[in-house]
Amino acid sequence: MDCREYISEYLAGHADGELAPLARRAADEHVAGCPICRAQLIEERALKAMVRQGAAIVKAPADLKSRIRGALDEADRRAAAPWTARLIEFLAPVRALGSRISEPLVWAPASLAAAIAAAIWIALAVPQHDSVATIPPVPEFELAIDRFKQFQHEFVPNVPAEAYENETGAVYAWVINRDPVHRVADEADSDAFNDLARSYRSANLPDDLFDFMQAGYMIAGGRVDRLADGRPIAYTLYKGMAGQIVSLCFHDPTMAAPIGAVNWLGLRSFYEYKGYSICLSFYPTGHFISILITRMPVMQLMRDVAAADPSGISR
Amino acid sequence: MTRKSGTATDRRLAFEREAMPHLDAVYSTALRLARNPDDANDLTQETILRAYRYFDQFASGTNCRAWMLTILYNIFRNAWRRGEREQPAATPEEFDAEIEAHSRAADQSRINPEALLLNRTAGRRIELALNALPAEFREALILVDVQELNYQEVATVLNAPLGTIKSRVSRGRALMRKALCRLDQARGKTGT
Repeated sequence: MDCREYISEYLAGHADGELAPLARRAADEHVAGCPICRAQLIEERALKAMVRQGAAIVKAPADLKSRIRGALDEADRRAAAPWTARLIEFLAPVRALGSRISEPLVWAPASLAAAIAAAIWIALAVPQHDSVATIPPVPEFELAIDRFKQFQHEFVPNVPAEAYENETGAVYAWVINRDPVHRVADEADSDAFNDLARSYRSANLPDDLFDFMQAGYMIAGGRVDRLADGRPIAYTLYKGMAGQIVSLCFHDPTMAAPIGAVNWLGLRSFYEYKGYSICLSFYPTGHFISILITRMPVMQLMRDVAAADPSGISR
Repeated sequence: MTRKSGTATDRRLAFEREAMPHLDAVYSTALRLARNPDDANDLTQETILRAYRYFDQFASGTNCRAWMLTILYNIFRNAWRRGEREQPAATPEEFDAEIEAHSRAADQSRINPEALLLNRTAGRRIELALNALPAEFREALILVDVQELNYQEVATVLNAPLGTIKSRVSRGRALMRKALCRLDQARGKTGT
């Protein structure tokens, strides 16, 4: 072994105690006879110690510790509650589908669907607590309900910016599917995703978008507005035969997940709130929250969200 | 060998005993990855909750800190995959530019007593040099030198081949030496 080989191949591992016995012996022998490499090894160990001291482990803040213990307690509480009824509820739509099927040939797909549904449920199955507990008023949920009602009557997309104006001066980017002229969303849904994602990001908001195609919902449009205090907020409207889903995404550093979630999926929690089903998601960075609100049953919303984002952890 | 499920209380106690002592290590790493305390809090909380949820899969007798840091990095990679984030210097060439910028900042700190004080501490010097490293080298050095993981554990945490980790540690230290030397030269010029 020469000095060049020692420094390039062995030095770091030697200092870290990572060399295999034979290599270690060869390195020891070289260093014993070479003052330059011996000095290099001493310096490497000194640098290692310097990094350890200079970049010391930082203590987690007390309020974070407290928050985490609270979340662990909540997880324990959920785990202690009964869950079998939820499995039955979760599978109800599949069973209903089965009961409507008379053609023998379609039983196989139906059984497969049931198996997939059960598998998804098992994958999601953090044991749940009963959802009958009343959730105290949550301002963010109230805002979501207000917008949900408003958008049932009218939703005017205003992003992306490269839009056109209609005769009333409203700025449209790409348009609700019922628009008789512009059916851009029909033509290229992936483009719609990209356009909206870009628009949200340019407003300093996360690209809070879900692919609900499988669940039968298309993106009907996106809006970027400001809340009363000036914070930007992104709205996305998804429409399908069964109704609409509205998503709201904005910066909210003070919000914590309200107690009373009927289930959790990664960073998402699901609520039944005043007749609505709500999925609340926390972005791990930037203190942004995302709220999905719909009239569909909460378990169906869970399935649709799971299908739209199978990892369940990407937010 | 994975952990056998006991009662919920046993499970919680085992988690408190084995995993929670690594909370500070998780938080420190989250802070370095997220680069701001709010995001680090969220990353840390999600990591702990995920670890608790999958604690049955933790193999007793292995390094719990490495296991938790693996979870942290997985969450970080997934969460950042679609996001746009400010990235630290990514290539050795950019590293040179980054160090140059830090050196200039050190020059300018003469007119700011508070910055001068900070820059004089050894910890600050190391932080400046570390922050100038391309991310992959910085991560490897911190996991080995600060978190005291072995190369194989680092390879698991970073989801990279063992040979790559060896190379990153070696090259990372060389870059650290260079960065520290350049910072010292800049201070020498300004008398700080």
